[in-house]
Amino acid sequence: MKKVGLLLLSLLLSVSVLIIPAAGCMVEPETETLTKTDIRTITSTEIITETITETITETVSQFLVIDDLGREVAVPAEAMRIVSLAPSNTEILFALGLEDRVYGVTEWCDYPPEAMSKEKVGGYADVDLEKIIAINPDLILAEDLHKAEVIPALEDLGYPVLALVPHNMQEVIDSITMVGMLTGTSDTAEQITDDMSQRVQAVTDATAGLSQEDRLRVLYVVWHDPVMSVGSDTRIHELIEIAGGTNIAEIGGEGYPTLSLEEIISLNPQVIIVNTEDYEGGDASLQAILNEERLSNVDAMVNGQVYGINADLTNRPTPRIVDGLELMAQMIHPELFGAVQ
Amino acid sequence: MQQTEPPAGGQPDIAYPRWRSRILSIFGLLALLVVVITFATSIGSVDLPFSATLQVLVSQIPGIDVMPEAVGDMRIDDVETIVVDIRLPRVLLAGLVGAALALAGATYQGLFRNPLADPYLIGVSQGAALGAVIGFLIPVGSAAIGVGLVPMLAFVGALFSVTIVYLLARVGRAVPVTTLILAGVALGALLGAIGAYLTVTNEEIVYGIIYWLSGSFSLSKWDEVWVVLPIVGVGSVIILLFSRLLNIMQLDEEQAQQLGINVERLKLILLATATLITAAAVSFVGIIGFVGIITPHAVRLIWGADYRFLLPLSLLSGAIFLILADIVARTVASPSEIPIGIITALCGAPFFLYLLRRRAKTLF
Repeated sequence: MKKVGLLLLSLLLSVSVLIIPAAGCMVEPETETLTKTDIRTITSTEIITETITETITETVSQFLVIDDLGREVAVPAEAMRIVSLAPSNTEILFALGLEDRVYGVTEWCDYPPEAMSKEKVGGYADVDLEKIIAINPDLILAEDLHKAEVIPALEDLGYPVLALVPHNMQEVIDSITMVGMLTGTSDTAEQITDDMSQRVQAVTDATAGLSQEDRLRVLYVVWHDPVMSVGSDTRIHELIEIAGGTNIAEIGGEGYPTLSLEEIISLNPQVIIVNTEDYEGGDASLQAILNEERLSNVDAMVNGQVYGINADLTNRPTPRIVDGLELMAQMIHPELFGAVQ
Repeated sequence: MQQTEPPAGGQPDIAYPRWRSRILSIFGLLALLVVVITFATSIGSVDLPFSATLQVLVSQIPGIDVMPEAVGDMRIDDVETIVVDIRLPRVLLAGLVGAALALAGATYQGLFRNPLADPYLIGVSQGAALGAVIGFLIPVGSAAIGVGLVPMLAFVGALFSVTIVYLLARVGRAVPVTTLILAGVALGALLGAIGAYLTVTNEEIVYGIIYWLSGSFSLSKWDEVWVVLPIVGVGSVIILLFSRLLNIMQLDEEQAQQLGINVERLKLILLATATLITAAAVSFVGIIGFVGIITPHAVRLIWGADYRFLLPLSLLSGAIFLILADIVARTVASPSEIPIGIITALCGAPFFLYLLRRRAKTLF
């Protein structure tokens, strides 16, 4: 690896990449600043200012990135053959207008619909290595569940694999910015992230003044048998809080705690939001909750505040997560955001 | 049942408790079962005082009303829902399933004259699992079909599997025990593979299937109790009626035949009934291992191998064991639940090993 590192170093030196004090100038090697600034190491949370973004994308041929799993990856600038190993990554790539540069997606990448016509290189957590080799990508976007086996296998084959693992709304936005920067689509990325930030801010502002009592008790149901909800470290938990609610499952700690019926009755949620999926029978959890007689005395059931929400909108770390947030805000506080259609 | 008549079966060196104490044991376990049920109903993730639970339970008897005035800041309606609609059916179902599995296990061990026999020997669990997988794949809102599509298909799958095994193993009018076991293992493997294939190629059901397979009593409700109770009840009575004949079956089958027993018919009846109660047990709660094989052995080690006592004692012990295991499953990692199969293995194995060491000579 050290040899490769030196190779990269010399490559970069020869291309003379550095920070240009004035935007738009021709790039000239500045020998004094060379050693300090010719390698830009970026993490998704270090997204910096506009000027640097502009200059780098014009002149850099490679980035050394530290991805969300803490791995150092050498990513070519403006990757042209991109493979996505997760539906969320596919959504981001298409949102950035990179469809022509996407050569492989997974079986589960169903949004936008155009993504389904791309070559399938993987299922839920597994990948077809032969197909990936045939594509010969110069960038692969993965996620957390690939870290044990898939990522090492791909690394062995020499492909740059970037794992996107955003834990909260801000990190989702940052990951979109980073992908934009790496692929030379920063303008589009900025449009998207600005829009996202604005809309999130709007919801935050509207719920900022709510008292503890007004922050309704929300039960978010991921699965119904047993009832599984979202823990305090999940993105959905944050969505509930931003939308002006309290997640009753946070007593279960982190991850995805299961709640017994007794527990739910005693916690008495005022709003219940249930994951639903698009396919036939994908509302099984919602139906199960609605038909569970033993929960019929709970505030949410009594007041008819039980909703199904498309799981892709709240679960996937993509631009659509703001759609999910806004929907949830309408469910929890129709008086502030309007009723759900 | 005169006291001077020696129990059938071998008479080992160790002095077993005599008749009277065995009968007393049955009543003792029955009383213990009632106590355990009451105790289990008072335990749960929500803290309810024992007296309140008792009051609510007693008030269920028509004509009696001693409902508590208030329980902390909970509504009485909610307390009643928790005790009567959530905990009680769950405890009763655990008892029924434990009883069914232990009784079926003891019966199978008697039928096959094999200490390793358990209720899942001839393909019941794989058949039930395949039925459940198919149930998960059919996109109908399960709430719409009474107790649910998955339990129904699991039940059908279990019975279907054993029927095929029986028909495959039959030679003329006889069903050799060894052939039965082999056919069961083979068909079980086939059905298991089909079930696994269907699961892997339909990833969206993986989650539900894993939970179902590992066995759980959460969300147990009265509807399920009312379905399982008659099946297990009637099945148990039938098996118990044949307990004396099962003793004689421990001799060679030929000898038993010569003693006037219609061995093949007995095998068919006991096999069918034991399978039926096992199928009823697993269809609602998934595959719970260990109870069926270990409980009869533990009972044997304590009370001897006379099937007239082994069967009812296994039934009661199985019920008590599974209720206690379920208490552990839902309290140890509260508010999460540990799949009950893990608890039965973790608790059952050491206890059995202890018994084994104490009475090593008398395994079978």
